[in-house]
Amino acid sequence: MEILLVDDNPGDLRLAAEALKEGDAQVRLHTVQDGMEAMAFLRRTGEYMDVPRPDLILLDLNMPRMNGRQVLAEIKEDSTLKYIPVVVLTGSRELEDMVKTYDLHANSYVTKPTDFEQFIVMLNSITSFWLSVLGYEWRGVN
Amino acid sequence: MVQASKVDQRPASTEAAGGEIKQSRELFRILFHSSPIGAYIIQNGHFRLVNHQLAHISGYEESELVGKPSLSFVLAEDRESVRENAIRMLKGECSVGYEFRIVTKRAKIKWVMETVAPVYYRRKRATLGSLIDVTERKQVEERLKQMTAEMQRSNTELEQFAYVISHDLQEPLRMVSSYTQLLAKRYRNELDSDADEFITYAVDGAKRMQTLLHDLLGYSRVGTRGKPFGLVNCEHIVQQATANLKIAIEENAASVTYDVLPTVMGDEGQLVQLFQNLIGNALKFRREEPPSIHISVQRRNNVVTFSVKDNGIGIDPRQSQSIFEIFRRLHTREEYPGTGMGLAICKKIVERHGGNISVQSRPGEGSTFHFSIDMGGGEAE
Repeated sequence: MEILLVDDNPGDLRLAAEALKEGDAQVRLHTVQDGMEAMAFLRRTGEYMDVPRPDLILLDLNMPRMNGRQVLAEIKEDSTLKYIPVVVLTGSRELEDMVKTYDLHANSYVTKPTDFEQFIVMLNSITSFWLSVLGYEWRGVN
Repeated sequence: MVQASKVDQRPASTEAAGGEIKQSRELFRILFHSSPIGAYIIQNGHFRLVNHQLAHISGYEESELVGKPSLSFVLAEDRESVRENAIRMLKGECSVGYEFRIVTKRAKIKWVMETVAPVYYRRKRATLGSLIDVTERKQVEERLKQMTAEMQRSNTELEQFAYVISHDLQEPLRMVSSYTQLLAKRYRNELDSDADEFITYAVDGAKRMQTLLHDLLGYSRVGTRGKPFGLVNCEHIVQQATANLKIAIEENAASVTYDVLPTVMGDEGQLVQLFQNLIGNALKFRREEPPSIHISVQRRNNVVTFSVKDNGIGIDPRQSQSIFEIFRRLHTREEYPGTGMGLAICKKIVERHGGNISVQSRPGEGSTFHFSIDMGGGEAE
């Protein structure tokens, strides 16, 4: 399973990688640090010519240049990308952020737990859930 | 038909009548001129008669006032409203305590409070007015208004500040906490025992800081994220609070009882939190015997006072004020966990509802928390 993680904080990127390592899901993690890079990755432009189409996108909200909401809107308006599940992964516990995110058709809104053990559990259950529901047939389509 | 006999109201003689009129004129003259209140008669918009005190307040001589248009002494911006007030008065309404500004001879602006009434003067319609200088009171009021506005502004700023720091500090702290936990997970027992101890303290410190920030955020939310007031049934509120504490109540084999509770104006979510914090405290600071909590209510005029009584460990009366301060704890973390924010949040919620909170207690004999809610319904400014 190919996962694209979009987060501007290198500490968060590494933490997610470590958390996935602690789990047993067979995943390949790709990371980019802002929205522009995320769109380039998804559209396979520039340096991202040969990257795979991700099966799941984990998206932070607050990022420079192009933030998570803009990325989400653009993905969900693109007929070739909108089927990719997007899980918004954020530090914000604001109800308003959650409502806005679902308005933009996010598949899930998840607050990053402050406890690392909980983070491991959360990240691995998200990936195994999407891994189980997507199935091999679907993953071939992308 | 019985004819009612007419009472003869005429004075005994015209001579006596003349004497009485003279006497009452004299009385009026003395009263008018020695009054500590500025008094005057206006006819056709001009001063016809003024007293010493009006001259004193305005800084003009009496002779400089008589014959002049009365409005010319009023500050230009206030003239229109003074004129309108005079028209209302002529329609038969007496005007009492009307406030406006005048300009004195030395070009100083003074606030005055005026009472006017329609009268006849020399057989023609006129206005009898009296006024006092209220400049000092106005200045104090103005200063008070400014200070209140300033305090409100700085309060809002402080709440915003607390909100922003607790919110924005969560992110870097999550890094510290997660990575120390990761260190502990990967390297515990691979380093020496000192290193393990250091890691334990670092993990523990970061976790504690997170709880503190979380509670500080909760505290600042009372002011910044409050909902508008509505009618709230307090029995529902207490039922919701006890439902949220269901597990803790069952684990402690506690009993929570309450009288018939009224409907009040308030923020439902915050009132649930208030009762929940107080009941939760009673469960936490319990004695050996099962906790027993009773909520009663008293109503006086527009103020409803709730009392939450428990049979717990009680509080040293010397601490009965300080327990409502933020991060105030009376026990070690080992004895009772928590950041000491619960009662500070209660206080803030009660104050937002225009009330006060206090505690009555003796160590070992339980505590009773009293808090009031103003039924006036307006959010405390």
